[in-house]
Parts: sequence; C-alpha cells; structure tokens
Amino acid sequence: MKDTTTLLEVNSIKKYFRTRKGVIKAVDDINFQIEKGEILGLVGESGSGKTTVGNMIMGIFLPTSGEMKYKGENLFMLANKRPKWLKKDIQLVFQNPASSLNPKRTVRQILEVPISVHRPDAPMGRTIHELMNAVDLPSDYVERYPEELGGGEKQLVAIARALATEPSFIILDEPTSALDVSVQGKIINILMKLRRELGLSYLFITHNLSLMSNVADRVAIMYLGKLKEVARTGEFFKNPLHPYTQMLLSSIPVITDEEELLKPQKIKAIGEIAGALNLPKGCSFHPRCPFVMDICNTVDPQLAEVTPGHLCSCHLYSSKSDQISDQKLTSE
Amino acid sequence: MVDESHKLLEVEKLKVGYKVYEGLLNVLNDVSFYVLNGEKIGIIGESACGKTTTMKAIMGILAGNAILMGGRILYKGSDLLTTSKKKVISLRRKNISMVFQDPSTALNPVFKIRQQMYDTVRYSSERKLEKSEIHELSVRYLLEAALPEPERILDSYPFELSGGMKQRVNIAMALVSANDLLIADEPGTALDVTLEDQIMRLLKSIVDKKHISIILISHALGTVRGFVDRVYVMYAGTIVESGPTKEIFSNPRHPYTRMLIDSVPKLAGGGVPEGIPGVVPSYLNPPTGCRFVTRCPYKMDICNNATPDMYEVDNEHYVACYLYEKGR
Repeated sequence: MKDTTTLLEVNSIKKYFRTRKGVIKAVDDINFQIEKGEILGLVGESGSGKTTVGNMIMGIFLPTSGEMKYKGENLFMLANKRPKWLKKDIQLVFQNPASSLNPKRTVRQILEVPISVHRPDAPMGRTIHELMNAVDLPSDYVERYPEELGGGEKQLVAIARALATEPSFIILDEPTSALDVSVQGKIINILMKLRRELGLSYLFITHNLSLMSNVADRVAIMYLGKLKEVARTGEFFKNPLHPYTQMLLSSIPVITDEEELLKPQKIKAIGEIAGALNLPKGCSFHPRCPFVMDICNTVDPQLAEVTPGHLCSCHLYSSKSDQISDQKLTSE
Repeated sequence: MVDESHKLLEVEKLKVGYKVYEGLLNVLNDVSFYVLNGEKIGIIGESACGKTTTMKAIMGILAGNAILMGGRILYKGSDLLTTSKKKVISLRRKNISMVFQDPSTALNPVFKIRQQMYDTVRYSSERKLEKSEIHELSVRYLLEAALPEPERILDSYPFELSGGMKQRVNIAMALVSANDLLIADEPGTALDVTLEDQIMRLLKSIVDKKHISIILISHALGTVRGFVDRVYVMYAGTIVESGPTKEIFSNPRHPYTRMLIDSVPKLAGGGVPEGIPGVVPSYLNPPTGCRFVTRCPYKMDICNNATPDMYEVDNEHYVACYLYEKGR
C-alpha cells in the first residue's frame, strides 16, 4: 500500500562538506517521506541545511550517504546520471527569480528549452500559451526579457519553466522570500491552484511559518542539519512540542491579537544558531534551550513519534513519550 | 492637537527626485510626518516606496544624483536642508544616528571592530578624549547592545562575527551618536526570525531606557506593530495614512493599508489572501492624482486628477483618500 502513495522517500541521508577548517555536517541523518499530492513545508533558519536537502533531491550534488527513492526508483545519483523521466518529473524553483532566469533570453526562449528537451512532440506555440495561462501571465509577455518584468512576474515565469516538463514533484526553495507581501499572495495561490489541477506535490522550503500554516499539509522543522519536529500542520501549530519550535513560533511578528494568542508565551528567543563547523555536543539546540537537562549535553536525541504522526527529537519527550500519548488519548 | 514644542523632528512636504538616464524619477511627493520627543514611530510600505530615501534625506546622505525639490526637515525647529554641512555632520555625530538593514555591509570589512568603534566614539565626543576613556566608552556601548564579551568583539574583524553579533555592533555604534533620534532601517529583516525578535526587543529596551525617539522602517508589518506608538503608511513616495498603531492595524481606512494588511498570511491559517494586484507605478511618470489610483478598487474620477489631502477620520488618525473627504 505504501508504494502507491509515497512519492519521495528519504532515508538517513547525510551530506558532509570537507573544508580546510574541518567537516561541515550540513545535513546529518534525516528521514522523511512525501506522499502524492502532499505539500511538505521544510522550515528552518539560515544555515540549517534545508536548501542542501533540496539540492540533493535535485541531484545537484550527491549525499555523503543514505538512500533516496522516488516513485520506488533509486534517486541516489547526480542529475546528469539520472534517466530522463526522473529529470522531467522533478523540478526546482529558486528563491531569487532575478538570478535564476537568463537575462539575455526572452520568456519564450526560456520556456522553449525544457519543452523541446522533454516534450519534443508538443506543439511549441500552443504549449507556451498554455503555460503562460497556467501561471496567469498575459500571453504577449513571451517576447519580453526578464528585466522588463516585475519581481512577482519573474517568479511566475520561473514557475512556468518548472511546469514546462509536466513534472509531478516541484521543490520550491523560498519562492516568495525575495518578494513583497503584496505579490506573495498571488504566487502562492497560483501554486495552490496548480497543485489542485495537476495533482502536484511540493517540497516547500521556507523560513516563514505563518505562510506554512496556510499552505502546507505537514511541517518539518530543521535545525543544524537535523529534523527536530515533524507533524501535520493543524497539530503542529496547536501543539508544538520541541522547545526550538516554540521559540520560533514565539518570535514571529504577527498583526492581529488573535494570532498573538497562538504564540507560546513562556519561551523567549535567546542565542544564535551555532556555526556548522563546531556543532554543540549532544543535542545541537541545547545551548539555546531553556529546558536543558544534563543528558542534553552528551546524548543527541533521536526523532521519535510522540503522538501518532507527530515526531519530535527532544529528551523532554523521549522518556515520557508513552505517558504523553496516553494522556492525549484520554483527553481527546 | 500635538504640542509643537514636543516635536523633535518634523518633515514638511518633502519632495525628492533622482536624475537618471531616462529622465527624472519623481520619488518623494509631499512627504510630511513628525516625531515627538521619546516617541517610537514606524513607516511601513512595500519596497521602492521611498522609505529609505526619506531617511537618507533626514541624515543628509542622499545619493549624488538625488535632487531636493522642496520641503523642509525641521529638527528642533531648525531646517536641516538649509543648515551648513558642518552642522549636519555634527548632528550625525552627536544627535541622530541610523542602523542599516544589512549588518554585514554596514561595517568596513578591512578594519577590526576596535578601530571602527573607537573612531565612532572619538568623533562623537564634544572634547578630546583620552585613549582609556575611548576604550571604556566603547566597552560600555557594546555591553549596552547585549554583547557579553566586548574585548573579544573589539579584536574581531566583521567576518569573524555572526549576523546577529554584527547587527548588535551596528546598534552599539549607532547608540554612540544617537542622543536624540535613532533611525532603524529594517534592522531585523536580514536576520532570522529568532534573531530579529531578540534585536527588536533589545532596541526597544534601549530606546525606552534612554528616552530616545526612534523611526522604524520596515515592510514587515508584524515587526512594526509590536514596536511603535504611531504608524505612517507610505505608498509610491507619498504618506497615505497615519495614526496610532493599534488603530491602524485594527481599523485601517486607506484601501492600500487595508489591502496590505490583508495580504499578510496569518499564523491562525485560513488560506493565503490574493494580495494587491498590479505594481508600484514607475516614478518616471507617476499618476498625477492619487498615486494608488492604478491599483485601487474604489477609484473615482477625481482620483485621477487631484491629490487628496490628509483627512482626519478619528483622533490623530489621518487618511489621504477621497473616500474620507468631509461631506462625501
């Protein structure tokens, strides 16, 4: 049954970068799955390794170790070694459309390349017209250069380019972070419409938790190369478990009193994400954690299921996990 | 009514343009606002709405191709635009200071923090300071900016410090010369959310304790809401709405403010709003009437031709929109 619904499966992948100063553990043993049609929000601060995860799935570089499967097939190879259908099926949208679109090519030329490579039989003119329609851009924009478009429009062209191969899975790496909030809504709504209409799945990499609350089906929190918490969106925001998650939520600036009530009140943000070269021993979050215990300095907690479908890696829950889930069951 | 004598800074009908190859960019159009002693105000708006240009005009650090086309900037009653350059520099050294958005580009990469901090302290003093005094003061300001190991910071180059530490150093330097007014231009935007929260809390505690006025510029509405007493909303080089923070966020009147607040995704969920259709108009040829007319769903004939005044809709709550003109 699993095979029919799981699109992407990532098992204990690691990515270590060897530098002159030492080894950087950018991604350190993480596991997750994405179901067909699902949006997984991968959230973390800068330097947490979330883009590295996206790049490994794309095959931009190889993981140091681990296993990646896409539709049951091995994905553990560089992009240039991948069979053509894999390249067609997985696409990526970058954060900054100003630098991810070739400034010397018109929108038409930008869209022509993926179509001619992956869909040689498609009628070019009509396909481009359909793509522009799908992202809600006027068709006469095809003769424009990227510099003649606004920031939001450029990102829509980047999305159209990703769609050009008819993928079933798109990695969105901070697609709206470089844009104003007034244009963010349009981009997100088009992405949501496309998912509905085309049955797409997204890995949505972002640092914006408020956005994820509206968009994602599940949210995964990443900190210094490790997943700290994974849960369905509703549960995640109602019942955040990991102290880091609570710290993130309490730091979000909000604009209504209603939202203010959703923020954990007891915890205040302190400290800064550690350098990837000198990872703290034990739990990597312990220098900033207000609930730090002796065990946190020495033993790194494993990601474990606290309540069904809600995973968290924290010693606060590892010993008591049975007890907590019992409590949950009786209270519900 | 606001007591004139409490006004620390008042900007009146400021007009600034930029000369470029294509012609004249008509950026600021009659920007007016004021800051009281010890008051925290916020200026919000999308990027390219003239927020930073306004602040640069106050600081006297506009780019070379900028043209002042009118208006006054009254600081404690005297017009900064007509005072001598020497006097303005002296103000920058002792009274008004600015924290910039990107902490890594605001520091000189080839000098240690020690050199940069010492210079700031040395030149902002009334008299010639002894070396030991300079050091003492530097350490004190760094501690004030919540940097626990000032000696180590002083001996570091900017690249050896993390983003949050760099921004704290910038705040420490700004504090040296901000005896009256601190201008914070997106001080937390380049930082992660947990860091931004810390930086904003730090800034707030410092300005409250020292009774400094602050102008916070940001496009992050939530950050402004949690920080300031009064908000100005800026759109395409004009102020479109102003009022007490609570009032602006709970009862926004101008169509732009309403649409801007609506377009922020809520932590409480409920879907992503559509945002504002269209883009900020080009400053080469901005609309002659209300500058929001190209994106406004409520536009009327008059909006194309005439610029609305600021109409008072509530106590201290002003809106520049013909929808709120008396008798309409």
